[in-house]
Amino acid sequence: MTIDARIPVYQLNDIVCGYEGKPVLRVESLSLYDDGPVAFVGHNGSGKSTLLNLLAFLLPPISGELMFQGATAGESGRGSLDATMLLQDPYLLRRSVFENVAYGLKARGMKDVRSRVVEALEMVGLSPDFARRLWYQLSGGEARRVALASRLALRTKVLLLDEPTANVDEESAQLIAQVILDARRMWGALPLIATHDLQWLDSVTQRRIFMRRGRIERQPA
Amino acid sequence: MKGCVILNFLSEGFLQGFDLLFSGDEEVWSAVFETLKLSSLSMLVSLLIGIPAGFALGHFSFPGRRAVRLLVDTLLSIPTVVVGLFVYAFISNRGPLGSFELLFTTSGMAIGQTILALPIIMALTASAVENTDRRLRFTLLTLGARGRRLLLSTLWEARHQILLAAVTAYGRVTAEVGVSMMLGGNIKWHTRTITTAITLETGKGNFATGIALGVLLLSLSFVLNWSVSFLRGRSAA
Repeated sequence: MTIDARIPVYQLNDIVCGYEGKPVLRVESLSLYDDGPVAFVGHNGSGKSTLLNLLAFLLPPISGELMFQGATAGESGRGSLDATMLLQDPYLLRRSVFENVAYGLKARGMKDVRSRVVEALEMVGLSPDFARRLWYQLSGGEARRVALASRLALRTKVLLLDEPTANVDEESAQLIAQVILDARRMWGALPLIATHDLQWLDSVTQRRIFMRRGRIERQPA
Repeated sequence: MKGCVILNFLSEGFLQGFDLLFSGDEEVWSAVFETLKLSSLSMLVSLLIGIPAGFALGHFSFPGRRAVRLLVDTLLSIPTVVVGLFVYAFISNRGPLGSFELLFTTSGMAIGQTILALPIIMALTASAVENTDRRLRFTLLTLGARGRRLLLSTLWEARHQILLAAVTAYGRVTAEVGVSMMLGGNIKWHTRTITTAITLETGKGNFATGIALGVLLLSLSFVLNWSVSFLRGRSAA
């Protein structure tokens, strides 16, 4: 999609968000422009994952306004296919690696599926031969890479990553950092990352929004 | 002494039974083919109704859902003769469906067996859908699945457990006697199944035929249980 750089990709006004009607996140005002990767930093329970679920259009706000590129999100489904998210504990479909990575492309009716699957696998350091493997033949680290590849293949405007370095080794963490920067460089993705790994974050972005107890504590001016 | 007589009795029965099987005894194989025809028909109808109904029961929230679930779970253990009795009342000449002349036909028996299999398919499909990984929905949504694709993909993720439900239901319908006896009448060359034939032949003292059919039923049971074991391993992976 074409992004108007003068309009924030996301604009949140007086948002209250939670589960089963119980608020766990309150955001008075937040604007996210297409200026490069942004990280949401905070301890466990600070509301990072809830905020990411909201921005991925997985969780509707209890109240308040969520705008995507200047239009109200949700009502017309605006933005829902322009964002994808890697869950903290990714789930692989009970299918082959190829089918996992191709799933979203097929759901969007995209063409040249095979070449995009191969490209996405190569981005995460997996060879095309890997595509034939089945979900239960993968190690935890490989499964996470396949899940990441399935999101990268979509080349969405917004790429949300919830604790992408949780339970991964140093080498994989650096690969994920590189992939995030590649996504920005190759198709202008806006990566939004929830993490508490500040050391790793240094290699990705300095734009950080600090969260605490379900509220934004500090954000870049 | 009595034990020896029984052992001889059974071993002779086994030998004669294998002879009947491998010599292609028409009466034995007629019961086998009737069993396969009947169970295939009842399973086809049960799966066509049971999978969508079970999916709806496990996936959607609607008023009365718990009551429906309780009813389906109760029907899991309904005795076959009770099903036979109720269906008999409906399809006998004096019943509301008497004009269709379904009593003592394969179709009539299939109705009864469908009623036996349907709760199994529905309950196990509902459980399979309810027990899908909680991350599945978010994963499908983040990949762009919507509407029908979202529902079908959820169903596909539960496919191994649903196959397991089908195998379990198939085991129930091939092993039952009550419905086949009451609704089929155990008519030779026509509605006689493996189980009703075993009952009849044993009553007549023809152990060989009974054992031949019993061996076939056991083989079928072995194949089903092996499939269940394989599928359990697959779905746990």
